[in-house]
Amino acid sequence: MEFEGFTLPDDLYYHEEHSWARLENDGTVTVGMNDFFQKEAGEIVFVDMPEEDDEVEQGEVCGKLQSRKWIGKLCAPLSGAVIELNEELDDDFTRINSDPYGAGWIFKMTASRPEEELANLYHGESVRPWIEAELAKAAEERAKSS
Amino acid sequence: MTGTKEEWRILEDWGRAVPAPEGLAVDDMLAHAVSEKGSPPLLHLYTFEPSAIVGKYQDIRAALKPDRCLDRGVAFNRRSTGGGTVIMGPEVVALGFSISLEDPRMGRGIDGVFRVMSGILLEALGRLGVRAGFRPRNDLEVQGRKLAGLSACAETGNCVLFHASILVDFDVGLMLDIMNTPAEKMTDKGYGCFSRRITTIRAETGRRVTMKEAMEAIRESFADGFGIRWTSSSMTPWERETAARLEEERYRNPEWVFSHRHPRFRMGEALRKTPGGLLQVNLSLANHVIDQVVITGDFFAATEGVQRLESALKWTLAERDRILDAVKQVWTPGLIFGMDPETITEAVLAAGERCVNA
Repeated sequence: MEFEGFTLPDDLYYHEEHSWARLENDGTVTVGMNDFFQKEAGEIVFVDMPEEDDEVEQGEVCGKLQSRKWIGKLCAPLSGAVIELNEELDDDFTRINSDPYGAGWIFKMTASRPEEELANLYHGESVRPWIEAELAKAAEERAKSS
Repeated sequence: MTGTKEEWRILEDWGRAVPAPEGLAVDDMLAHAVSEKGSPPLLHLYTFEPSAIVGKYQDIRAALKPDRCLDRGVAFNRRSTGGGTVIMGPEVVALGFSISLEDPRMGRGIDGVFRVMSGILLEALGRLGVRAGFRPRNDLEVQGRKLAGLSACAETGNCVLFHASILVDFDVGLMLDIMNTPAEKMTDKGYGCFSRRITTIRAETGRRVTMKEAMEAIRESFADGFGIRWTSSSMTPWERETAARLEEERYRNPEWVFSHRHPRFRMGEALRKTPGGLLQVNLSLANHVIDQVVITGDFFAATEGVQRLESALKWTLAERDRILDAVKQVWTPGLIFGMDPETITEAVLAAGERCVNA
């Protein structure tokens, strides 16, 4: 879906803290940060990644992302185990900016209870109202401060 | 009306210089107290013992000369918020502040937080007679000279921890002695170059503003800006224990201070002869992103314009199109006499390509 200048692919599931989850055919889940986040954050300077084999809970802060002088959260979109890190990001973390759903993926995981947890994520028709609400809050903020 | 105003808490540690591990640990505790114990927003205003504090993901050995720090009696440590190195001491106001990101008075998202917080601090500076402005990305400046640095992190619950360092007075010589800067090899050796890029409350007001006066202005500006009143507070036993634990586990722990979790830092320089004069660019890269950049030479330009240019380039990906976009964002005809955005871009790119490990 293209919406207000943001790309939010329809096949992904989005956590409210802007991480995304893609369910792969082999049963694993790929995780990254969405286009809304990367546009707001600006150039990503560093990602403090989880470790391979880390067990994470849905919504748990499992890593940090630094952009400019801000450090933000990398939240696990689902519960499960981290099985692979995108080591190529070490060469250039701004891949999260230039290709957030491709080369900018951050880690892969196995999900332990996707059937109950996917419902907690934004997907399909719920994505647009969520992003609309985020944008409305931003507009309200700008109006207050102008 | 005072009685109807919401009460926030302030930890005023004004009578002494606080050791870096203690000050940083108390700042971190603020976010835990707000997030986990339901404390109202908490402000910590204080001064450090002389200390060089690097950002969470900086390479401390690339940023500082630890041996010179020790020789000069300057402690060094790593804070939990982002950004670059700050030199703290008895004439620099240290500010830690934590608030829920859901508080309607707080700006939304990254830009919102910096907009609201810079507004509060600019108002405080105005009360002292300093007309400063917000310089994207995250500094307060007076005509291109940096007077305060801001940084933040949002790692604890739904709270933001905001840090600021505000220069009441500053020792540029000390900074250059203990820091590794891209200016090391510059023809315009260090002091003059950096003293033109930094200013202080005392320099701007032309009077000896006291630390107490500066901190009172900040305290009052917060109260008016957020429409609250302060309760002067001391730490609860839980807060004291939490701060003590963070101090021990984090800020007195060499594994934290010398952490290897950071991007690769490198430094480089480029010299260009141009119709407008000699152009020298010195920069440091954090991976492929510009961390610091200093533009000097024997060209004609207003200091303010050059510093805007440097600020625009900071945190920009070191690729031609991105650099050119950043330069064009702030470029005005004659910003550097006899040069154009393409010339600047080529020099920045060349400095980036010549970067070697810091």
